This record gives sequence, C-alpha cells and structure tokens, in this order.
Amino acid sequence: MVLLLWLSGHAPVSAHAGSRPVYLDELHQQAKALGLAGRREWHVLLHYRSNLFGGYTSEQDDPGFFLSPQGKTDPEAELFATLARFFSQDLVGRSKQPAQCAFVARYNWLKTQLAFDETKLPEQTCERFQRWYADFEAIGLSLIFPSGFMNNPSSMFGHTFLRVDQKNQTPQTRILAYTINYAAELPPDAGIEYPFKGILGLYPGYFSTIPYYLKVQEYRDIENRDIWEYRLNLTPDQIRRVLMHTWEMGNATFDYYFFDENCSYHILALLDAADPSFRLAEDFPFYTIPADSMRAVLERQGLVGEVVYRPSRRTLVKRKREALSPEEEQWLRRLVEDPSEATREAFGALPQARRMLVLDTASDYLRVRGDGPSDMQKVWRERNRQILSARAEIHAPSTEMLVAPVVDRPDVGHQTRRVSVGGGWRNDRAFEEVAFRMAYHDLLDPEPGYTPDAQIEVLNVGLRHYHDSSQARLERFNAINIVSLSPMDGLFRAPSWKASIGMQTVRHGDCQLCSNGAFNAGLGGAIESRWLKREVWFAFAETEANYSKAYEERHRIGGGASIGLLADLTDRWKLLASGTYLRYALGEHGDDIRWTVAQRVSVLQNCAVRLEYNHRDRDNDVVFSIQMFF
Amino acid sequence: MKKVLLFSVVALFGMQAGLAMAANPDAGPGCGLGKLAWGDYSHQKNIAPQVLMATTNGTFGSQTFGISSGTSGCTNDGKVMAEHKTTMFAELNFENLSQEMAQGQGEHLASLAALMGVPAQHQGEFFAMAQEHYTTLVKAGEASPVAMVKALNATMAAHPVLAQAILK
Repeated sequence: MVLLLWLSGHAPVSAHAGSRPVYLDELHQQAKALGLAGRREWHVLLHYRSNLFGGYTSEQDDPGFFLSPQGKTDPEAELFATLARFFSQDLVGRSKQPAQCAFVARYNWLKTQLAFDETKLPEQTCERFQRWYADFEAIGLSLIFPSGFMNNPSSMFGHTFLRVDQKNQTPQTRILAYTINYAAELPPDAGIEYPFKGILGLYPGYFSTIPYYLKVQEYRDIENRDIWEYRLNLTPDQIRRVLMHTWEMGNATFDYYFFDENCSYHILALLDAADPSFRLAEDFPFYTIPADSMRAVLERQGLVGEVVYRPSRRTLVKRKREALSPEEEQWLRRLVEDPSEATREAFGALPQARRMLVLDTASDYLRVRGDGPSDMQKVWRERNRQILSARAEIHAPSTEMLVAPVVDRPDVGHQTRRVSVGGGWRNDRAFEEVAFRMAYHDLLDPEPGYTPDAQIEVLNVGLRHYHDSSQARLERFNAINIVSLSPMDGLFRAPSWKASIGMQTVRHGDCQLCSNGAFNAGLGGAIESRWLKREVWFAFAETEANYSKAYEERHRIGGGASIGLLADLTDRWKLLASGTYLRYALGEHGDDIRWTVAQRVSVLQNCAVRLEYNHRDRDNDVVFSIQMFF
Repeated sequence: MKKVLLFSVVALFGMQAGLAMAANPDAGPGCGLGKLAWGDYSHQKNIAPQVLMATTNGTFGSQTFGISSGTSGCTNDGKVMAEHKTTMFAELNFENLSQEMAQGQGEHLASLAALMGVPAQHQGEFFAMAQEHYTTLVKAGEASPVAMVKALNATMAAHPVLAQAILK
C-alpha cells in the first residue's frame, strides 16, 4: 500500500520536473529577499534556539524532522530543502507523508509568506491531517496543570499538558476532549536508574493525544492530584496554528530532560506556535518547573480566561467528610469496614439525602484505597461494590457537591528559585550569609499554591562570612532534601518520610568550623490538630551517615528519632520546631542532640523573612534572613 | 508489580486485534482491549487502572495515541476510531461509570450518554434508568464493555421516553 502511494506519488512529480526548478528558484530568491529563514516564525516551527556564540541549533533530535541534512543547525538550508520537497509527493518523516502534509504548519506559513502559485506548486490534499484535525472539533485550548505528586520522582513538581476543547462540550462532557501531552517513553523495565537517566536526557519524549478522561483518571483517581484547568483566550487562527504544529510534532522526538526540556517546556513551545510573539519558551533557558510555566502564561496579558478546579478524589473525600455530622462520620467508618451496616434500621432512619452523602463518601473513600497499591485492594473494591449496590437502591440522583480546593491555584504561589540574605551569630561569632536555592519549596516557605506539608529542595547552597575571619566559607550545601508529612486520621494512615543528602558545618572536637557530609533518611507519621489555626505534629525514626575529617576514622553512622511541630500561627506566620536525638554506633561512637525553632513571615507573594535558631551538639546558631523568590 | 503491568499493557496494545477477537467473541471489536487480553492478569475486573499505570509514564500514550503514528489497534494517527469510541470509553471508565450509575449522575455517565446519542434534555431519564438497572448493567460490564453497551441499548429500547429520543 505504501509502495503504491509512493509510486503514484512519483508520477506527477516527474511530469512537472521541467517547470519545477524554475519556480523553485523563484521561491528561493523571494524567501532570501524576505529573510524568511531568519524569521521568528520559522525558528519556532523548527525549534531553533540561538547558540551562545552565534548560529542556531534545533532542540529537535529526530533526523526525520528536518528535510535538509544540515537542518538541525542551518535554518536557511532547511527552508530551501523544505520548499524543494513541497513539489514532491515522496513520503518523509516518521509519519510517512508527503512533505506538505507531514509539515503542514511550515507549508501554510510559507504559502502565506511567498503566495505560492497553485498552478506551479499544486497543493496536495492531506487526508490524514484533515481527518485528525476535524476529529478535535476544536473551539479552544486549555492548559491543564495536575499538582505535584510526592510519590513519583518524575511528577513531584507537577505536570502540564493541553486540552483541545470541543465544540458543544459541556462541563460534564469535557472529559471526552483530547489532550496534547508530551511525555518520556520509558522502557518497560525502567527501575531505580529512571530519575538519573531522566536528568541526563536519555529517554526519548513524544507527543500524543490521550483522551482527557484517561488523564483525569490518572491524576484524580490513581495519583490523587488536584487538577487546574486554565482556559486560554486564543483566536481560531491561533488554535489552528497550534494544532497544525502539533501534527508536525508527530515526526518529532526530543531527548526528555526532567529539568529543562520537560513536558512544560515543550507545551510552552507549542503555544509559541500560536503566536510567535508570546515568546513563552524563551522564559526558561535553564529549567522549567510546571508551576513557573503556569505563571509565565498568566503574565501574558489576557491569555488566560476561566480557571476551573477539579478536585482529586482524596480532596473530595476530605470535603465530603467535613460536611458530615459526628454521627454520620461514625456511620462512614462502620460502612467502610462492613458495608452490610447499610442494611441496619438505624442507618435507614437517617434522612435520605444524608444516607446518600454517607454512602457516596464511603464509595469515594473505598476507591481511594482500592486504586492505591495495597494487598487489600481486592477487599476495598469488593466493599465498594457492596456500597454501590446499597446506594443504587435509593432511587435518587446525588447532588454534585461544590468542592473548595485545599491548596490554592498554583499560579498564586511563590516562584521556585530563592535567594536569601541575612546575618546572625554562631556561638559568639557574628556572620553575614547569602544562600541560593535552585528549587522548589520547603516546609516553611509561603504555602499558597503548594502541596501542604511537603518539601522538595534541590541544590541549596549557603555561603557565610564570619567577621573574625578573612574569607567566606561554604556553610552548607544540599543536593536534595525532601520531606513529606501525611497527617493520619481515622481513615487515612499513610506514612511520612524524609531523605536528604548534602553537607553542613559542625563544631566537633578541636575543629571549630568543620565540613560534614551527611545523608539522612527517616520514616514516621504525622497528625493534624486545629487548636490555633492548623498544626501538624510529626515523629520520625531515622538513620544518618556522616563523613568529616573531624571524626575518628572520618565517619560515623547511626540512628535515632525526631519529633516536631509545623504550625500556621496566622495566614502569613508559620512556625517549625523540631528536636532530634541520634546515636552513632559505627565509625566514631557518640551521640548528637539537635533542636531547631524557625519561623517565617511572608511579606509578598515572592518575599518572606525568617528567624531561625539551631542547636546542634555544642553549636548555637541564630540567623535572621530576607528571602526573595524569582 | 508496576513493571509487570507496564510490560503487559505495551505487549497487549501492540497485539493483533484479530487474535483477541478470534479467541473470545465477547472481547470487543478490534482494539486489543478485550477481556481476553487481560485474562492472565489477576485483577481483570479493573482494566482501567492498569492501563492508566502505563499512561502515567507515557508508554501507553505514545504507542496508542501517538500523533500521526498511523493505525494501531483501535486508534488512527492517535485518534480513537469512531466505531470504537463508545466501547473504549465504557471499558476504560468502568469503575467511574459503575459508581456514577449507582449514584444516578456524574460526568462519565453524562459523557457515555452523549456518545450513545442521548439528547441532553433526556439525560435525567438516562441517569435514572442506569441507576434502576445498576445490578444488571454492572454485571454485564464485568463480562465485557460491549455487553454493557448492549445492555444499555436494550434497556433504552424498552424505555418509554428514551426509546423515542434516540430514534430521532
């Protein structure tokens, strides 16, 4: 079949062979005169970025995306090769179509710019594209942001993709719309090496049009992530340009880099095709964090319209439980343990609307449990079936509950890079300090827009200058520092955990300011109280390994425990207090007592002040700092 | 565990549709999504979550829904073929659909109604009907999505209002 197409495709080309070069030369001249190869539109479509020392390189890594062998680095050669291929029906690219169809956005742009003469360069019909395009029934685009998910390294920072809104779509049927999603393709046996390979760009990334209902299930039902939908204000022409370029991306493969060329980056690059003056991708030369990309889109005046919140099932259960009376909560707990309780007369005595609410909450809860990884999965699912059977016997529709988000819109959050300037005393020595953190959020940072009680810090560096010494020193460095607190209650009992790797400065033996490499990991639990505003109490059993020349044998390894409290005192004022006891049994023996009291007041969305007190072994350290996010 | 799932989903979606159909007439038309495909898997009542685990990492997505990727199973250039839209939706959303049928409303049920051609003004009747026949429909759905869609059609045909509404 392909062969046939190829053969039939060839015939007219050779028939035109005589007249083609003349018109092609004309087009070349015209393109040169207009400087099309240097135009922003061309660079957006081919994903060219300017090199540090002049020239351009495309971020595209699939040779089939270019029609010239020099295409990756030569915009002009690529443009000329493209024009030449438009005369031919030869199949090109991974999608195996004639060039006019495989690169339909390039064709349309060049056609407009050069006013192609149809008699000399006949337009080909692109059935595959037409069918694909028509099937969207596109009337709009929405940018979709599922919030971060702590249990998967690839999605801790969140994700972004586009949804192609359909004509006649209602709030209820919008799950039938297609999405435009960019994701890395992992080999089925991807394991522990996955994050490392991801950072190094060793996996290929592809674009796909997964139906939105599958994405909703993935995020809302399986991973329990809230979803935010941002409707974009785009003209029909802009939408058409994005979709045409999306079609071209079927020929594309990018090396997927977690930090820079990730899902968010490529989605921004697609939006640039709508209007090259957006220059969205350019905002992110080094790395792209999904929430930052949302903020970049929002900075474009008028680009974002309505914002819709779609709660995760976990949030749904939380809000529904808040609507239950204490008696109904008791029923809920009994029903999820034994669904046959629903047949009791006492339960039947509740008003019908309340019974429906309790049963629906029970079903949602059992689904949260049943979709999670657990040996109990089968049991939870069977119980859910029984609950639903009981629910179906009440012949009345449930009322859709308006669910308020637990976490604010991601775009109201602080930016993810942070710089701090401060000063204080360590024992009796005064110092000034500057610190920089590449990403992303710690327990004390202003919480709007971020997953509560969760911390992910990547590359955090602190430099200090002590007044009585001549030079500054690297006070601390954290490659990664993660804390996930999950408050437990009668129904949810997930563990809390933490892990960090880095170095800090300690006083030990004769050494006053000693660098100390440290690895720490802990597993524990947390509970929530609402005495003042909201408090989270936590405890960890943990293990720690230290490496420093201050220790005999240069190392020590031990274990211990931490307890702590994270409290919202007001909307802007937050407190973190914790105490740790560690005993080292390997390497240098000994023990260590640490405690810390830190508080933060947020001043603006991207500005906060902190006062921290740290006690460690025999060190006492007080720092006051101002922090800016950018 | 997750690895096994990923692997099976990739393998199964790549499978020749004809194979699945030949071995199990109830397996649904040509998608490779049929019951049989999941026969070796212990939780075969819940296909969607397993499919989803694979989409999480994009594997499934780029194979089945890859843009301009040609024809694979029940998709064409990444778009679900018109004749498979309803069954595929019913299959991949079975958990959500059974919950919403029991509750007599919801977006998945509304979307299924739209796919089946139920006019918006008769959505309420469709919801009530699904709730009333919850047990039968879910039992059919556990056998196969095709059976559930068939059962829904049969119930609608016997419904005084809906039978007229879908004929129009």
